Amino acid sequence: MGRGKRNATLVISSSDDEDFLVKSSSKPASVPRTNYKKRPKKAALSNSCPRSRTQSKISDFDEARLFLTAFIKRFCEELDSGTTRFKVSTGCGSSKDLWVDKHKPHSLEELSVHKKKVEEVKTLFEESLITSKGKSSNHVILIVGPAGVGKSVTVHAVASHLGAIVYEWNTPTPTIWHEHLHNSGSGLRYMSKLDEFEHFVERIRKYGLILSSLVGGSRTSVILLIDDLPLVHGKAACGRLKRCLNLLVQSVCVPTAILITDYGKADSTDYTMHYWEEIQLSLQDAGACKVSFNPITVNSMKKALSRICKAEQREVSAEQIELIAKASGGDIRNAITSLQYFCLKPHQGPSLSSYDGISPCVKEGSDEMVHFFSGPSLSFGRDDTISLFHALGKFLHNKRDPDNPTAADRDSIVLKEKFLRLPLKMDAPEIILCQAHGQTRPIVDFLHENVLDFISEEAIDDAWVVQSYLSDSDLLLASLNRVLCRNYEAENSVQSAAASVAVRGTLFGNAHQVPSRWHAVRRPKLWEIEKSLWRNKHQMANERCVTSLTMHDHTVNVTEFKPMLKWIGYRTPKNSGAYEASSDDMVEDELERLVLTKEDTSEDEIEDW
Amino acid sequence: MLWVDKYRPKTLDKVIVHEDVAQNLKKLVTEQDCPHLLFYGPSGSGKKTLIMALLRQMFGPSTDKVKVENKTWKVDAGSRTIDVELTTLSSSHHVEMNPANAGFQDRYVVQEIIKEMAKNRPIDTKGKKGFKVLVLNEVDKLSREAQHSLRRTMEKYSASCRLILCCNSSSKVTEAVRSRCLNIRISAPAEDKIVKVLEFIGKKEGLQLPSGFAARIAEKSNRSLRRAILLLETCRVQQYPFTHNQAIPPMDWEEYVSEIASDIMKEQSPKRLFQVRGKLYELLSNCIPPEIILKRLLKELLRKLDSELKHEVSYWAAYYEHRMRLGQKAIFHLEAFVAKFMSIYKSFLIATFG
Repeated sequence: MGRGKRNATLVISSSDDEDFLVKSSSKPASVPRTNYKKRPKKAALSNSCPRSRTQSKISDFDEARLFLTAFIKRFCEELDSGTTRFKVSTGCGSSKDLWVDKHKPHSLEELSVHKKKVEEVKTLFEESLITSKGKSSNHVILIVGPAGVGKSVTVHAVASHLGAIVYEWNTPTPTIWHEHLHNSGSGLRYMSKLDEFEHFVERIRKYGLILSSLVGGSRTSVILLIDDLPLVHGKAACGRLKRCLNLLVQSVCVPTAILITDYGKADSTDYTMHYWEEIQLSLQDAGACKVSFNPITVNSMKKALSRICKAEQREVSAEQIELIAKASGGDIRNAITSLQYFCLKPHQGPSLSSYDGISPCVKEGSDEMVHFFSGPSLSFGRDDTISLFHALGKFLHNKRDPDNPTAADRDSIVLKEKFLRLPLKMDAPEIILCQAHGQTRPIVDFLHENVLDFISEEAIDDAWVVQSYLSDSDLLLASLNRVLCRNYEAENSVQSAAASVAVRGTLFGNAHQVPSRWHAVRRPKLWEIEKSLWRNKHQMANERCVTSLTMHDHTVNVTEFKPMLKWIGYRTPKNSGAYEASSDDMVEDELERLVLTKEDTSEDEIEDW
Repeated sequence: MLWVDKYRPKTLDKVIVHEDVAQNLKKLVTEQDCPHLLFYGPSGSGKKTLIMALLRQMFGPSTDKVKVENKTWKVDAGSRTIDVELTTLSSSHHVEMNPANAGFQDRYVVQEIIKEMAKNRPIDTKGKKGFKVLVLNEVDKLSREAQHSLRRTMEKYSASCRLILCCNSSSKVTEAVRSRCLNIRISAPAEDKIVKVLEFIGKKEGLQLPSGFAARIAEKSNRSLRRAILLLETCRVQQYPFTHNQAIPPMDWEEYVSEIASDIMKEQSPKRLFQVRGKLYELLSNCIPPEIILKRLLKELLRKLDSELKHEVSYWAAYYEHRMRLGQKAIFHLEAFVAKFMSIYKSFLIATFG
């Protein structure tokens, strides 16, 4: 297994090619490796790197992400070349392959995707293949769906059914920031992923897909598959990508499939999701046909899984297959991997019985399911996430178990009466926070806005307790801003501590809640207030400055001049318009971004869970 | 033009309120080189007026020609460049600005502009190299780092640049900076001085001031000359000729705060707390600084409160004011204070009246 060891060295040194050369040259391996080693390096050199210097806070995240992708990619490449060459010598053979790849459906019949959808895609492709010579406008199919429902596989299968070659746009390996710094001396120009993609689209538009790599490209038909759109941050980048895709839709002459993974949750606090939605909409406006894939049904998943079991000659009971199918949440890729993992287990017998005991609760819903998976026995399946509003509802409604008071705490320290609370009827708040994957700040803001509705009219003391905890968590969050925090690990733990304080404070403080009834969760008014505060502040500073020819500090301005001016009815001359507007715009932009991310979350409402 | 600006004394000789300080300053500038200066005192006591008059004394009437600029500095901070935007007010001899408005980037601004000023220093008529004056407002709001960097630059560029610092409380200015400056305390003007100024303005405007009216305004003004003059002008707009017992209009936000206070006293419940939050939002969105809201609110509450509770309430107000400064979103802490007050007051009511 010399190969395996070699891979291990690669992993360590993969961020630095020079280093790698030195290390690996000492190995006795006789295989010339220059042929595959050069390639990733070249790719890496020419590609993207973190964005401009001003945004370096973001770029640190990018750096980490880029590093990770580069790392994984290179690792996989090395692994690929390793395993293919040594297939015979190691003797593991095909059984070590991932089942996901091995049992990839090749014909339309094998697909687990709903027949209608497949048919839809097929007809669309057929149409555009026939008319591809002509000037038909509709060549682009936009396929949207959650992860692992078989979007790309469908395209491949349809293509092979139609006898077309799939030409894929591969995302280039990203550049690491240090690499960029290193290269900047040597005169290599930096290109972002977005730049590359733009170039690619440009090329496709101008020259079509006549490429040397496609042998006999003129004969066979070609389907262009864009699986991996560049990730965009910020409005500007999103706009560029949109323009670029619109051009592509309007002018491309080969059938094209664009895949967008839909992460589902519309109320996710992650604002990059909104960009994807925007892009989808703009693509549709440009004339792309949208086909949205649903999660795969349990039945078709079961069929696919049992087919694989048969092919692999494994004995897996129908119940187990059903369990796996259900746990995967409609994600067939995940289900197959789970199945493979499951079949690896040496002792299937005892573990099976333990699943059976718990399995009914799987049906009840996602939160129970997580509980089930956090148990020691089972470790596959996708943890389903819950929405931010669901989580907030849990925290605000604060359901407790009145039946067994203090049952949980009997062995612990004896608490005073006023500190005693009934046990919670939910998971630990931190687990729920994890599932809701919300950022701390919005969660705290939401709690602050809404918690008073849930406190009994009599219990002003409770209100104070809750408020004081919220104030604590604000303090924790503020400690991040004061120091320009470069230590992300510390930042993360402070964030989660703040969230935990806020949530637990809310749960603890609200000891006399109102009997549960229907409540609408409001969106924090605080955001609007902050927005108008900024605008007013800028406006005022500029106005006053111009009229009085001396500078006053802001406080004086607001507390003395402004009220007086109102009494006097004195109008300030409006000659400060020029820069007033510019500064306003800036602030608005910034805030708009903030607000945008929340806008449609506000429309959601929760009922009594 | 507002009277506050119109009757601002232009030269040190015309100053009414702090005559002694003005004369001393005049002597200081005419006889010798001017050191760095630090003016401190409550707002509305005439610091800025003195500074402007002093500048005029130093450089002549050309300091009156000022222009307002919204400047952006590109600051190189290690691995990246930061854009800092700030409004400045400048003449050919001085630059005035509020570095605290730049937030936590304030230290870059101070350093950068002082360097810039040092680079192109003016040559005065006698052929020797002159200096420019940098007026920094609200020095007490600068961060520690900024004050620290201020200390360094003060020494380094003292040949080409004089600093005039201006703040409300010198205790928030670091020792190091204070010791490098000539500290000048401008106290709040006494009420009879304010009356004198008001009468002076009245005479200039040709107004009939009934006896005791100026004194009433002075009393209302909290010994802030600025506020007194503003009040006088407001009264003039509202009703003239003045009557003996004319109502002096209060500040609208102060009215609003006392309204909040009476709301709080009337009912203590989460629902009321929510309404109070709405009113606090109203104040905040009108840019009233949260510290001032809290201070005013406390004052209003204490006025209506049983003396038994005053101590405890003040303690909590101080507690939450501290947290407000440390924290990020003021409303959290303001509201927590209100909630705490409600909780204290309610239990007091129950204990007293059952």
